Amino acid sequence: MESKNPLMVRRRGRRTIPWLFLSPYLVLLLAFGVAPAIYGLYESFIVSSVVGPSSFSLVKNFVAVLSDYRLPDAAKHVFLYLLFWLPIMIVAVFAIALAIDAKRTRFGAITRFVSYVPGAVTGSAAALLWLFMFSPQVSPIGGFLRLFVGKSDTFLSDNTLPIVLAVMGISAGAGGWIVVLHGALTAIPRDIVESASLEGANAWQTVWHIKLPHIRGYIAFILIVSTAQGFQVFVEPTVIAAGAPAQISQTWSINELVFSYATLNSNYGRASALAVLLLLVCLVLAIAILRKTRLYSTGAEG
Amino acid sequence: MRIHIGGGIGRNALFVVTIAFFGLPIVWLLIAPTKSINQLTFMNPMAFGSVGHIRIALRNLLSFDHAIFWRWMLNSVWYTIVTLVGALLSSVPAGYALAKFNFRGRSEILFVTLITMLIPGAALILPLYLEMSAVGLTDTPWSVILPLMFYPFGVYMTYLFAKHSIPDSVLEAGRLDGCSEFGLFTLIFVPLSRPTIVMIGFFSVVGSWNSFFLPYIMLTSQHLANLQTGLQILVTSTGAIGGGNLTNIPIRAPEVALAAIVSIFPILLVFLFAQRYLAAGQAAGAEKG
Repeated sequence: MESKNPLMVRRRGRRTIPWLFLSPYLVLLLAFGVAPAIYGLYESFIVSSVVGPSSFSLVKNFVAVLSDYRLPDAAKHVFLYLLFWLPIMIVAVFAIALAIDAKRTRFGAITRFVSYVPGAVTGSAAALLWLFMFSPQVSPIGGFLRLFVGKSDTFLSDNTLPIVLAVMGISAGAGGWIVVLHGALTAIPRDIVESASLEGANAWQTVWHIKLPHIRGYIAFILIVSTAQGFQVFVEPTVIAAGAPAQISQTWSINELVFSYATLNSNYGRASALAVLLLLVCLVLAIAILRKTRLYSTGAEG
Repeated sequence: MRIHIGGGIGRNALFVVTIAFFGLPIVWLLIAPTKSINQLTFMNPMAFGSVGHIRIALRNLLSFDHAIFWRWMLNSVWYTIVTLVGALLSSVPAGYALAKFNFRGRSEILFVTLITMLIPGAALILPLYLEMSAVGLTDTPWSVILPLMFYPFGVYMTYLFAKHSIPDSVLEAGRLDGCSEFGLFTLIFVPLSRPTIVMIGFFSVVGSWNSFFLPYIMLTSQHLANLQTGLQILVTSTGAIGGGNLTNIPIRAPEVALAAIVSIFPILLVFLFAQRYLAAGQAAGAEKG
């Protein structure tokens, strides 16, 4: 707790020291975070028209995107996707990271490595991979897929899509979080964990009362960022759409709709307006999670 | 039902399921270039084709534009290395300062950092392009490297680690011994944080290696493209995935799979190298100055 430390007050120039450490990052933050974000926000108020100059309006773009007939479908898709993807991934990430941490074995290290690999496969390779995975006649799990679709040649349909995308999303996303969470768990001092088990705590009690409280900040961070990632799902449906354009719309998710405004329609105002709305949803959830977990509490307040 | 996480059978069963789930697609991808496009469709999905097919796929891949594939790879390597250095030099000191100093604006900077991580990426591309174009950097490597150096994730990870795992007493002891603030950071904090620094370094490498939109928008010269962008352009221009390849460029599924393997190989190497440090977090909490 720096505030109670007398040295902190006595040393001259101490107030400038954190700013020296921060300055390179702050330059980058302003140039590539804050400035483009403010410009994007400004853009969301610029209404472009097919003929004539564009105009300024606080609401027009927002009204236009909110009444877009594609938005309710996209929102429903994203909601369904989140429903499958988020809880399963979070549970899997915690279970696997805790299991790897429980006992350091080579098997655990291999598990962590393997779980990371699919996340490294992106772009066209991911499209190829998942297209083959979910085509019953060429898939290594074709027999399993046939249980659901019988003789049909395609597994992808409106009903199965959220599950397919959730599987892709977990496969690509869980490994990174397992690395992060396992790193956080290994940083818990071993003597604390050991003294807990000496006092008779079982594995579950150690996890619940010692390990998880210790990594509270990481838990909040993972929840915030992965919820935002879920709301902004883009890569998975785009990848599937690249391989099977007939089965999935180009604007399946909200973020794809943002992208289609910006690229297909060159309507940057609407793209920004929808992005702002998407950000607001994520921010509200982030603040709720921060409140619940008091992420910023230590350091400043004690 | 009670499952002991510490108990062997439950834990190993979980590992087996995990490896099967994450490993199966990868094994398939590794085998794919050993088959012809016909074999991919008609052979057993997990059967091995022949090594000869790998050679054919490689030759086809390199036949495009005088093996520009290697040029893309080299671009990726140096963009990634420069980005890594910049990202670490900016984010690690920042995360440290946010966790270990009390100053006005601290939680505001943290919050803004978090917000920038939540902004949909598609919304930032055009402003970034306009910015780079205003300073005349578009279609230069810097238009990709500089924005990638901005690394809020690294700041947050360093912040969380410093807050949770580096006791203030360790730094105070150093201060009492007359260590300068810069010395505290480089001689005490950085060595103790090595696992976290290696981890965020690794994620930075993956992020820039796999970056696609940014180089796609910023770089128009084909010889400046990074591997991901180059491959994507190649694959979409030939229609190798989804829809028949109607061009006479011989890029089809086996070539795409081979390209994927070649392009993730460096990441896996870096991971295996980093793995030794990732789990070495023990010293941090134990050393009490």
